[in-house]
Amino acid sequence: MKCKSLVILLFVCGFFALAAAEEGSGPPDSTHVDSIPPPTPVSMLTARDSENDHGHSVTLMWELSTDDGAGQNSVLSYEIFRWVPFFMDTLQSIRDSLAGAEGTIAEQLRKRRDQAIAMIPGAHKSYPEQGGWRKIGTALSGQSSYEDVGVKDRGSPDYMADHTDYYYLVDAVTADPAIRAPSEIVGPVQSFGQFFNTGRIPVFVAVLVFGLLTILFVTRARRGAELYVRPLAGIEAVDDAIGRATEMGKPILYVLGLGSAADIGTIASFTILGRVAKRVAEYQTKLIVPCYDPIVMTVAQETVKAAFLDAGRPDDYYEDIVYFVTQSQFAYVAAVNGTMLRELPATNMYMGVFFAESLILAETGALAGSIQIAGTDQVAQLPFFIVACDYTLIGEELYAASAYLGREPILLGSLKAQDYAKAAVIILAALGLLAASLNWTAFINLFSVTS
Amino acid sequence: MLDVTFGIPLVVLSDVGQAISLLLIGGGLLWIFIRSLKAKEVDRRVVFLFIFFAVAAPILFPITFQEKATPIVKKLFDKVESLPAGSKVLIAFDFDPAMAPEVQPMANAFTRHCLVKGYKVIFMSLWATGQALLTQTLERVVKGEFPEKQEGVDYINLGYKAGNEGVLNVIVTNFRMMFPTDVNGVPLDSTAVFDGIKSCGDLDLIISVGGGKPGIKEWVLFVGDRVNVPMGAGVAAVVAPQLYPYYPKQLLGLLGGVKGAAEYESELVKHYSRFEHTDTPGLRMMGPQTLAHVVIMAFIVIGNISYFIGRRRERRR
Amino acid sequence: MRRTTIIAMAVVLGLFILSWILRSASYVTVQEHYLIGGLKVTFSAFLTLAILSFLYKDNPFYKFAEHLFVGVSAAFWMSMGFWTTIVGNLVPRISQSLSEFFQVPYQPGSYNFVYFIPVILGIMLLMRLSRNRGWLARWPLAFIVGTTAGLNFVRYLRSDFMEQVSATFVPLFVDWKGVGYFISHFSLSASGQFVAIVANWVIFLGVICGIIYFFFSKEHKGVFGAASRVGIWVLMITFGASFGYTVMGRISLLVGRITFLFRDWLGWIS
Repeated sequence: MKCKSLVILLFVCGFFALAAAEEGSGPPDSTHVDSIPPPTPVSMLTARDSENDHGHSVTLMWELSTDDGAGQNSVLSYEIFRWVPFFMDTLQSIRDSLAGAEGTIAEQLRKRRDQAIAMIPGAHKSYPEQGGWRKIGTALSGQSSYEDVGVKDRGSPDYMADHTDYYYLVDAVTADPAIRAPSEIVGPVQSFGQFFNTGRIPVFVAVLVFGLLTILFVTRARRGAELYVRPLAGIEAVDDAIGRATEMGKPILYVLGLGSAADIGTIASFTILGRVAKRVAEYQTKLIVPCYDPIVMTVAQETVKAAFLDAGRPDDYYEDIVYFVTQSQFAYVAAVNGTMLRELPATNMYMGVFFAESLILAETGALAGSIQIAGTDQVAQLPFFIVACDYTLIGEELYAASAYLGREPILLGSLKAQDYAKAAVIILAALGLLAASLNWTAFINLFSVTS
Repeated sequence: MLDVTFGIPLVVLSDVGQAISLLLIGGGLLWIFIRSLKAKEVDRRVVFLFIFFAVAAPILFPITFQEKATPIVKKLFDKVESLPAGSKVLIAFDFDPAMAPEVQPMANAFTRHCLVKGYKVIFMSLWATGQALLTQTLERVVKGEFPEKQEGVDYINLGYKAGNEGVLNVIVTNFRMMFPTDVNGVPLDSTAVFDGIKSCGDLDLIISVGGGKPGIKEWVLFVGDRVNVPMGAGVAAVVAPQLYPYYPKQLLGLLGGVKGAAEYESELVKHYSRFEHTDTPGLRMMGPQTLAHVVIMAFIVIGNISYFIGRRRERRR
Repeated sequence: MRRTTIIAMAVVLGLFILSWILRSASYVTVQEHYLIGGLKVTFSAFLTLAILSFLYKDNPFYKFAEHLFVGVSAAFWMSMGFWTTIVGNLVPRISQSLSEFFQVPYQPGSYNFVYFIPVILGIMLLMRLSRNRGWLARWPLAFIVGTTAGLNFVRYLRSDFMEQVSATFVPLFVDWKGVGYFISHFSLSASGQFVAIVANWVIFLGVICGIIYFFFSKEHKGVFGAASRVGIWVLMITFGASFGYTVMGRISLLVGRITFLFRDWLGWIS
């Protein structure tokens, strides 16, 4: 009797033990997937027109799902959906047909496409019936914003029309894409361009201040006010150098550099060339001006011709004073070097925009025994001119020299405005130093340009 | 390395050659120093000859140095290394054959790095002469070392477009308006590389290689600052100092001259064993570079000493 | 020309012809004829040495190379300008038939009469060649200068002014936790506090004194003059560093050329 009970007890215990073991095991995959519960959706989803752009863009922002980096920690990404009317498929098929079409058929398709594009805002008003949700992008976990950016080009498949009602929703997605939580739908929101980019207010203020300063000083210069410019050693040497060339009966070589007529350095060089050409005309010395850029050549010819006229010697001017060489950098240098060694000028002037050829020019000029005056705003070339030339106008001194020599109100006024801007920079830098040391982030942020 | 060895083992010839070169250069510098102390003139052609010898000897009898990447190079390397798979990188070949010995090794190193990481690479050039150099990189590096990469899928060549900053002004908002097709006439829309790219703002990294105008400065001004795309640069040595103000805010990193190229190449070889036997012109050029620099520094020191001695002699008179 | 010069030139040319023959003999490629390949390499080497011979003195070889370079480059850039700007940028946007003629892909839908404006401005610029109508060239010139100034004004003000000014907002004392901490953690390492503080001081003083040097409205006397002298010292140190960098650049170009001579021409190295 006792044995029988024991056997039954053992059997029952064994049965329960087996049942418990079976519960704990089982196919790992099915229980692993099934065990991910749906995450919480994002909250506070907002959609608004993107700021400071030309339109065609909507910015979405949301509060992260509570299961993103916390809670169940199951959210891996967010998928962004936009409601798209079925009509857009028709438009896309017109675009696809247009891609392979030619001639009159292409023209007709283009007209149809443009008509269809005009109907986009109306098509979006059929929400929610005649359309569906289309995935437009993904954001990684931890991200709480997304910018739906379209293009302005109406012919592009990524064209996003302005002043059109858009609707969005955001899904919080887990490792299993089927397990997700959609947010509430947000909309309608319309995109449109802004006329004023508020992220660039610091630049706007700088433009205003600098512009007003320039107008103020140019006006004062025009009214005859005496605007002081300190003397520059290189400029005072120009007249001596021209005199030296006249005494030696040798020519003066003037190199305008490799810049275009739109470069500031070249423009400053034209003014100096005008002054040099006038002196050369008065002293009846030979002037050689080889040019790299054809447009610069035309301006230089005008400048020299006008200078000769000013000096009262228009007949002494001839076309070959200013001539075009080539628009290849080192070919130009080779030609000018050859000219230097054959013509043996007494004075070489290098004023303008120079690049790698600067040292080659200056060294050859030194070899030829010429006195050399250089001026460039190319910081990388200044060391070579300083080392190999007798006088060098460093950077902005070239612009100051053109103002000093030309004495034109616009040049003088601009120079003064620049000086005041520099004074402002010194004050701002000192204040910025204090701000960085004392952590005044508000002051530092005044100068940050965001877009 | 030397091809003509006259039957002598290469290692022996190389070591003997290095020793003789260094002795000759050292002896020559001493001779110049003594001459200048005696206030005798040294013809400039002797100086040219010395520089030639200082460069030629290490080319014939290679001297190599270990390179360690400086922070300004390492930051750019780490950025390229850390981009997610499938990132879109643009490499601009904005240089001409005159700059090529310095900057083409950088362009090749960037190309190798991006391709080995599996990024989609967009090649273009703002310089007319850059297109031929771009083609060289495509032939030698892309097709030569990565034959599995497909044009249009893994990389694309947009070629050269005239317009300088005007080109940048357009592609910053719309690539296709300036480049409707690639250099072979294939529409960009039909290429996998340009999936999802409308403008420069959609790129993950822009690397400009060059040193003139248009160049890095224009890329930073017209693209980098406007759309806040990370930017890196590889430049000729002459331009490097004026780009330092842009680092680290506007430029992630900067490779300056052959030294920068050598540092990047050494990082690449350190991280990827497949590049151990690849030609590394940057590293190779550092030998002649270093010896030439030593000779130039010696000339500067000798010149200054003789200048001050000469001045003192004149004062005594 | 003297007889010795003629003989010397003949000898040099003879040596290069011999070099061409020898180079061609070892030239292995399927892309072109071996003589053409050998000629390319030998002629490149000849031109390289001809230009370098200028370092000795001016000579007929240098003159030949110089004039060849000038002529070929002028033609190259003229041809480039036509094919890349006019055919590359303009023709595909305005005419399908011209696009077919020049074999460039036409861009349908991009036609706009606005593209004819640069054509008209370009023709006006060419009027410079005419005596009577030369004044017309001033208008496109004014357009170029004005457009560039307008395009660049805001960009340069932002990137080269605002961004650079805000980059000088550096703290004078980095990670300051008191004098005791500074002294106890003093180190000369590049990432240390001392070096960071010195660097910021140098940046700040260098920028201020450099700007003072370029101040043209006041003569450089007294304190102003002293600051200006500090500024010019900072500038000269920068130029020295830049010079050194450039020397590296020039030497690397020379390395490239000598490598070409030894490897591709003489075949001494692989």
